[in-house]
Amino acid sequence: MLFRILDPQTKGNQFWRDFDRLNDELTRSILDHQFGSSSNFPPVNVYTKEEEALVTCLLPGLEPDQIEINVKDNLLSIHGRKKAEELAEGTEVHRREIFSGEFHRTLELPFRVDQEHVLAKFTNGILNIHLPRREEDKPKKVSITIG
Amino acid sequence: MNTLTKDHKQETTEVSAQGKEEKTVTRVYSPNVDVLETEEAILFRVEMPGVDQSSVEISIEKDQLILEGKFVSLEETRGQVRLAEYREGNYFRKFTIGKAIHSEKATAKMKNGILELTIPKIEPKKTKIEIQK
Repeated sequence: MLFRILDPQTKGNQFWRDFDRLNDELTRSILDHQFGSSSNFPPVNVYTKEEEALVTCLLPGLEPDQIEINVKDNLLSIHGRKKAEELAEGTEVHRREIFSGEFHRTLELPFRVDQEHVLAKFTNGILNIHLPRREEDKPKKVSITIG
Repeated sequence: MNTLTKDHKQETTEVSAQGKEEKTVTRVYSPNVDVLETEEAILFRVEMPGVDQSSVEISIEKDQLILEGKFVSLEETRGQVRLAEYREGNYFRKFTIGKAIHSEKATAKMKNGILELTIPKIEPKKTKIEIQK
């Protein structure tokens, strides 16, 4: 929150509740502007080592069977659909910030992947994909004798 | 589309065992939240990927609800960073609840990075008053 004024005497007033809500909206929109609101869903990190690449991806609220991973040469694609929660009759919606719908991301890796040995695990809403480098793409040391 | 990249930094100073002041900067995320209300309860669904159930803190004091979580990645050795669209940090969100609630009867569960909090409402007592003749 950017600022907050709360008088204990008037804490329960509708005015202060509305003020709180507006304050929260304002803070989020300022942070959006300052840090940029990315349209990239889901957010992804990519790390590489000599023998493999690791792709981690934030996918809260999804089940592992709702995520499809495809690898071809040096391209990785992550696809899925996040269903919106069905609401019981009479449910009032105050806020809807959580994304629902279809998503698709394709990433280009710096080497070709051994498709047979890709390993993916899903913990606490984070998808981790280990992508081993193909043997023929691994760097090779060549000794050159200066004669 | 809402993402999890809305954040700011929080600086904390800790005194080490040697008596030195050490400053640490933690990224604080404002997680996406759905707030729903049924006849019986107020429901909060909070996106907290990377948070283990044990590191979630929920507190309700009078009409103030505070939701906190610590996001720690499970991967240790990562190598060279090629793309970084998110980072580790803490989640923090605060709400004012404008209804009478049974805070002590609130229940919460965590699944696949989503925190679900249910707070039962107190129904206002209806008393019919007879008008005397």
